[in-house]
Amino acid sequence: MKQHTKGNFHQTAAPLLFLLPNILIFGLFIIVPAIQGLRMSFTEWGVFTTPRFIGFANFVELAQDTVFWKTFSNTIVYSLFTVSLIMVYALALALLLYKNTIKGEKIFRSLFYIPSLLSMITVGIAWRFILGDEMGIINYLLRQSGGSGIPWLTDGNLAMVSIIGVSIWAQAGYYMIILIAGLQAIPLELYEAATIDGASTTKTFTAITLPLLRSTLLVVMVLSTIASFKAYELISVMTKGGPGYATKLIVQQVYQVAFLEDRMGYASAMSIVLMLIISIFTLVQFKFTGKEQDYE
Amino acid sequence: MNKQKVYNTIHYVLLIVLALATLLPVLWVVLSSFKPQSELFRVPLTFLPQKWTVQNYVSSLQAGNFPVYFSNTVFVAVVSTFITVMVNLMAGYALAKYIFKGRNLIFTIMIATLMIPLQVIMIPIFLQLKNFGMLNSLWGIIIPPAATPTGVFLARQYLVNLPDSLIEAARIDGAKEYSIFFRIILPMSKPIVATIAIFSFMWRWNDYLWPLIVITDNKKQTIQQALANFVGQLQINWSDLLAMTTIAIIPVIIVFLAFQRFFFSGIAAGSVKG
Amino acid sequence: MKKILGILLILVLVSTTVFAAGTKEETGKDVTLSVLWFNDANEDEIFLNTIDDYLQANPHVKLDMQIVAYSEYDQKLKLMISGGNPPDVARITTNTLSVVVDSLEPIDNHVADIEAVKAQFLPSMVAFASNTKGEFVAYPTEATANGMLINKSAFDKAGINVDEVSKDWTWSEWESIVKQVVAANPEMKYGLTVDFTPHRFSTLMYQFGGHFLNKDQSNMEFNNPGTIAAIKWFKHVHDAGLVPKSVWLGSENPAELFQAGLVAGHIGGSWNINTYNKNVTDFEWKAVRMPKAEINSSVPGGKFIASFKGSKNQEEAFKLMEAFADKAHNEMYSRDTFNIPSRVDAQVTYPSNSDDFEVFLEELKVTPAFTANEWKNTNLSKVTTYIREQIVEVLLGNISAEEAVANVDKKGATYFK
Repeated sequence: MKQHTKGNFHQTAAPLLFLLPNILIFGLFIIVPAIQGLRMSFTEWGVFTTPRFIGFANFVELAQDTVFWKTFSNTIVYSLFTVSLIMVYALALALLLYKNTIKGEKIFRSLFYIPSLLSMITVGIAWRFILGDEMGIINYLLRQSGGSGIPWLTDGNLAMVSIIGVSIWAQAGYYMIILIAGLQAIPLELYEAATIDGASTTKTFTAITLPLLRSTLLVVMVLSTIASFKAYELISVMTKGGPGYATKLIVQQVYQVAFLEDRMGYASAMSIVLMLIISIFTLVQFKFTGKEQDYE
Repeated sequence: MNKQKVYNTIHYVLLIVLALATLLPVLWVVLSSFKPQSELFRVPLTFLPQKWTVQNYVSSLQAGNFPVYFSNTVFVAVVSTFITVMVNLMAGYALAKYIFKGRNLIFTIMIATLMIPLQVIMIPIFLQLKNFGMLNSLWGIIIPPAATPTGVFLARQYLVNLPDSLIEAARIDGAKEYSIFFRIILPMSKPIVATIAIFSFMWRWNDYLWPLIVITDNKKQTIQQALANFVGQLQINWSDLLAMTTIAIIPVIIVFLAFQRFFFSGIAAGSVKG
Repeated sequence: MKKILGILLILVLVSTTVFAAGTKEETGKDVTLSVLWFNDANEDEIFLNTIDDYLQANPHVKLDMQIVAYSEYDQKLKLMISGGNPPDVARITTNTLSVVVDSLEPIDNHVADIEAVKAQFLPSMVAFASNTKGEFVAYPTEATANGMLINKSAFDKAGINVDEVSKDWTWSEWESIVKQVVAANPEMKYGLTVDFTPHRFSTLMYQFGGHFLNKDQSNMEFNNPGTIAAIKWFKHVHDAGLVPKSVWLGSENPAELFQAGLVAGHIGGSWNINTYNKNVTDFEWKAVRMPKAEINSSVPGGKFIASFKGSKNQEEAFKLMEAFADKAHNEMYSRDTFNIPSRVDAQVTYPSNSDDFEVFLEELKVTPAFTANEWKNTNLSKVTTYIREQIVEVLLGNISAEEAVANVDKKGATYFK
């Protein structure tokens, strides 16, 4: 098939022209600044001073920076849980809502999608009203009914759980939509055939649904991984990275070092490391995508 | 049959419980926006306002220059959505349906840069925008983030699944490459266009960081900036903040409802497995 | 689809016309001063209101107000300055001042007798607004003081005359008093809450005899007995349940806890008078003198307006700022924003709460002068977030107070090279 395609699609000018606007915009406003960022990671640079080349000093310091590594492991934990739980929950929602059989299905879909329409700042504000230790609704109700409050945002581990939970709440609807589309693309005949063969629901799910949904699940995985590495606003509003360093992610630390501590060079070095890690993540995910394409 | 009924009931109950849990925080914000400021943090907490008031809306609409913020945001969101869809669909098409040198490299670079937190390269971006004279111009918010890797990614994933035979047939008929794109690919891409459009509109509507880098001029600010202005150094104007938050949600919901027809039903119809 | 596209198109057209209408406004040789501003409440309106007579008298001067959210203000201003594009006038906090001080245009270059100008303002405000060369770089507009606001109804209910006991009390006396107050009020859970900022924490630190920097400000000196005592005491009141953990550990807003009647007192500042005036309806509250440890102390703060080296319309900017800083304008602005005036000769009659303002003024009078000098230090401003995090680590029990101060000094030293 590849061979076949190649024979007909020999034009090289056409694809480049189609890509041009994208590459132009992207190159000028993301790639060029990113390369500048790379250069800066080898300098000592405050915003009002001229950069001074210091070789690998930033990276050496980074290796011993305990706060950075704490935020690093927080980022991994946060991403791992957020991405996998989002996939499970969004898939569950999609399975409940893709068939076009239940009354009010569309309304439900819209309802679940609403959180995704909100800005992360709004999401953070809304959930502070709910999870606040003293003033939050949940703890208020718990105390009214004689129990004691739960330190949702005050205990380090629980704060991480809360942040992950809210991230799932805020984004699941978005991925549910993508997954519904994927589920609906699976030909109904396959299911009918399976029913005739007497396959159980579980069997149908593992033998038909999951394999055919793989490319969609990969889209969801890649997009939610990217989003999780960039969670900035939500955490700023909800915990400010605390208590202590419990929910501080690399992005927060980069921002603080760059703008509050005025060490642009060191912050650049941190982001280079962040980029390297994510590239590894992406490469792994691409291994899967690549395989998947060969099937077609 | 009976078993089916039980199953349906469980299905519904589950959906309703989850939907309530999903909506509660949003409802809390909306209802709180009708409370007078003195009621917001008063114990006992109440779900419904004890004294309903629209004063918050009146004062938040009067603060600053709401009509200007609103029309700026509409302008930015609509124009950039249009540009984003076109630019990314074309790029996605090139990556999905042509084989050429460096294709995978370009795609990989795009996906990798998806990961750069914008905060990190803010200063170089600011300087770049300054070079192009785009500071304090709405075009400075519209153009630079228009090439979104996410959009390219979604477009490519969708277009890969369109049958090559259509394109080949058109080529044999002597159609030009651009007319294949506009006459054949674009009409078949309605669902993905709708998807990218909704995502892009939402993102632009809610985006805070790009306007922050580009705009200081009060006459060019967007709604999200206006929202942030209610949080001061020492005080937070909660009632205005909540009221304007509620106002800011409405347009995205309208756009979503308008487009959701294509969004939901279309994707399945369009994606013929290759 | 077509219908929707039609609607969108109309929306775009409408917004373009509004947008276009908004852009063409400069005509002829008028001067338009760009004014960078942030709001706590509606200070921009009050500023315009206050300066209105000046603008009437000088019709060639127009103001272009650029409002940026406080959370991004410093960073935005830095971007503008480093991009060679500073505003003509900017509203500036003490924190911003420590960041941009070297980019500000000295007033010395624009007035004949700088000492006479300095003499008009509170000494702490002048200290803030002086750069390392001793030049005066910003006009103080309003002063703030950290201080304590208490729930008077709750003290009354416990049969405690708060005016009497707070005249001259120590933190240990406060502790036993406030326990009685909490016990007498079933809804009340805590004795005190302190804003989640290093600035408010430093109130306690100064009272315990501590400091951030050494005498000549050549290095960090967070490691000193006073500071360690303050951190230990702060941990003690958290562990004893006198202070809610949710503020410093869970970043809950302390003003909300106070408004809900959950805490007996709040260490905030003079700006809270405005907030509580609007929001507290269920109980009586008032400002009282803070207890002392080693000494009595508040922390001064405030806001300024300034122009920049490289601002395009410096001359007109300075005329405007000079007018805004005069006695009549300063009084009007302070009264309407509910703030302490920055001028020594200002006589402000507030519509209410003049007693509370009096308390904050008293606090300022007993505050050592070095506190302002510390808080305007550029290098210190880079470490404050780290300081906040390290104090939380102590509160969590992860490290000791001694370790925290050592960490801070180590990190701080890198900025004092």
